[in-house]
Amino acid sequence: MRSLARIALAGLVAVGLSAPLTVSPALAESVIRIASPYPATTLDPSRSGAAGNIETFGQLYSRLLRRNSETGELEPGLAEKWEVSSDGLVYTMHLRDAQFSDGSPITADDAVFSLERVRTDKESALPSTLSAIESVTASDARTVVIKLKYALAPMLGNLETWNVGIVSKVDVEKRGLPAAFVTDPVASGPYMVKEWRPGEKLVLQPNPHYWRTGYPKSDATVEMVEVTEPETAAAMLKAGEVDVMRSVNWAQVDDLKATEGIDMRMEPSNIVFVVLLNHSREPFSNLKARQAAAYALDNKMLTQAVTRGYAKPANTPLPGSLDFHDDSYPGIVADMDKARQLMAESGMEGKEVKIILGGGSTNQQMGLLMQAQWQAIGLKPVLVNVDTPAWWEATGKGDYDATPTWWMNEVTDPDLAVRWALCGTCDSHAFNTFYDNKRIDELTEQGTREQDPGKRAGIYQEISRIATEEVSQIPLYYSPYAVAYSTKLKNLRITPAMQWTLEDTTIEE
Amino acid sequence: MQLVAKRTLQLVFVLVGICVITFLLVHMVPGDPARIIAGDRANAETIEAIRKSFGLNQPLWRQFLTYAGNLLQGDIGESMRYKRPVATLIGQFVWPTLFLTGYVVCLAVPPSVALAIASARKPGGVADQIIRFIGIAGMAIPVFWLGIMMSRFFGVALGWFPVSGYGKTFIQHLHHLFLPALSTAIWMVPVLVQSLRAALIEKAGADFVVAARAQGASEREIFWRTILPNAVLPTLNLFGVIIAFLIGGTIVVEAVYAVPGLGSLMINALLARDYHVVQGLTLMFAVTTVAVTFVVDLLSALIDPRVRL
Repeated sequence: MRSLARIALAGLVAVGLSAPLTVSPALAESVIRIASPYPATTLDPSRSGAAGNIETFGQLYSRLLRRNSETGELEPGLAEKWEVSSDGLVYTMHLRDAQFSDGSPITADDAVFSLERVRTDKESALPSTLSAIESVTASDARTVVIKLKYALAPMLGNLETWNVGIVSKVDVEKRGLPAAFVTDPVASGPYMVKEWRPGEKLVLQPNPHYWRTGYPKSDATVEMVEVTEPETAAAMLKAGEVDVMRSVNWAQVDDLKATEGIDMRMEPSNIVFVVLLNHSREPFSNLKARQAAAYALDNKMLTQAVTRGYAKPANTPLPGSLDFHDDSYPGIVADMDKARQLMAESGMEGKEVKIILGGGSTNQQMGLLMQAQWQAIGLKPVLVNVDTPAWWEATGKGDYDATPTWWMNEVTDPDLAVRWALCGTCDSHAFNTFYDNKRIDELTEQGTREQDPGKRAGIYQEISRIATEEVSQIPLYYSPYAVAYSTKLKNLRITPAMQWTLEDTTIEE
Repeated sequence: MQLVAKRTLQLVFVLVGICVITFLLVHMVPGDPARIIAGDRANAETIEAIRKSFGLNQPLWRQFLTYAGNLLQGDIGESMRYKRPVATLIGQFVWPTLFLTGYVVCLAVPPSVALAIASARKPGGVADQIIRFIGIAGMAIPVFWLGIMMSRFFGVALGWFPVSGYGKTFIQHLHHLFLPALSTAIWMVPVLVQSLRAALIEKAGADFVVAARAQGASEREIFWRTILPNAVLPTLNLFGVIIAFLIGGTIVVEAVYAVPGLGSLMINALLARDYHVVQGLTLMFAVTTVAVTFVVDLLSALIDPRVRL
């Protein structure tokens, strides 16, 4: 009898224990979980242009303008309307009645403060988007006046890039730096921080004071989970432990496509994969050697081999999604005989080529293909593996000859892209290639100041042609974002400017 | 008491050595933390401004003095990219790793002892052969591969266990960390079995066993009272090394199962050249290793009076 009673008691206890376990899923709040290898490392929008941060800033901070997630057009953001003076030098922005996540009003002072942080702060990660600005002032509590040094065609678009999110001046001054951004910054965007566990996950919750009423459409919290291993991320997605896998390996695409409940999508991006060549030393200081290297790489074949045909071969070193890009331009079409001939003419045969490779399977494959092709035209390629910080150190110092890599442009206007990748007198030594062409430098400044779209198209197409023919970099392919979604998520995608459309997203059970 | 004094002295030297070497290594590896913080597009002036704000533009010896000075006051520094104290970060990541380590021990020790005894009863017998064969297989399978296969099978296909994370409650920890712990235990059991089996066989032929038998002790008594305690000693030392290794070395298993533990933190910090985090973690691993071996020595002394000499 006593043992029976004991069993019964144990049974009761077991039921008691398991009851909360079975009830909790029903009560649990809904959540959208995104697994990404790109971590959030700071919540201060002016301080970092790394991928994971760009993705987060758009959720936490609204900008003066916003991009319509359907059409990609610019539309009013925190500025509900604006006027541009006839000479294109003065932008007067009128702010709407909006609040920060702590309920305080968003004023012209906050906008001025936020833009100044990007433009003049020494530690600003990308001041060049606002480099044309002469001054930013608040003429009253709701009006911001931006004066330019010269008329800049893409100015409105530059007021929508990831770093110009509006932050609270009062809060930043009260808590100081970096304290204001370490755990729970005051937000102006659709979401605010619920919890940040650096290196693990960032949890966001809807901002109740967000100016777009009715958004975010879902009251779900959002978890940005850091997962470095693609195998792990795919297993988590299949097991339902996350809802989105941000960066699917090309080799995983077919498997995920065939999995029920998963929507495997290729989404347009402003990304271009290129091979950087070091123009500051032999062999690639020699134009013919560079051309030989380019003719030897069949980027159609290579795109097929590496991306299984999911990416599009590139015809110029600039992203194919940029305005004025000429799709019909053939670029350099692979030709081994021509490559050998150019190599012989260059006198660089037998030279050693140090190819440095960052992490990841794509870089490794690319490196092997480059090595094989260049060996065939008489170069001596050597592969060296490095991690990301060492990669930046080596390319920055010019301690390399060639390296496959990728970059993206924040906006579809080509101005920033040209300044980053091709202009030798701009900040980045033409993306650490040390390429410098006087004509391109001149055209860069002309393109910035020219207001007529037709003329701008001509300028940027000329720049692309010069750079392609002189092989500033070897164009490889235009890569889409490969993202896998749970089919229960509606209207979630990542825009070409790397922004999740989370505020439009709903969950269907 | 002497042991404690000796160990404490040893600890001081080990720690000073570790501090100097780690500091030099992390600072001499190419790569700039400022570049990782600011991102790809940042220009040279921005990078320089960030370096300056961290004092990275100062000569190395001055940076070391600052670091050592803070260390003496018990401050192991702040993460350069997260702007949070290293101690806080370690506090965040240490629990999954400790739990995992404990879990692995619980899963690995009982079968190790049982298998070793079964194996050593009749060296060369059928049971011994089978156990040794499986053991070699267990050791030969890479933890990485095994982890992926188990998460695919038990996690994705059967849905019995989560394939990632750590959970919130104790029960959830047990559930979430089962596959990672099992993957690690499968590698660990054969190592322990081999060591314990060898010791058991060796001690079974020792003089004191013959003496015990001559005094008329039963085989059962001889095994439990004489052979096993003597045979455990070398395995205990090995066990200590493995524990210390696990706390710092669950990197692979943590990556495969996305467990937010110290291994993940270390990899992240290394790839970001987050100097203070790397230094703080290395220091912590060093202290743990010294502490674990110290505990093992104490245990050995308890079991075997001769060690005290």
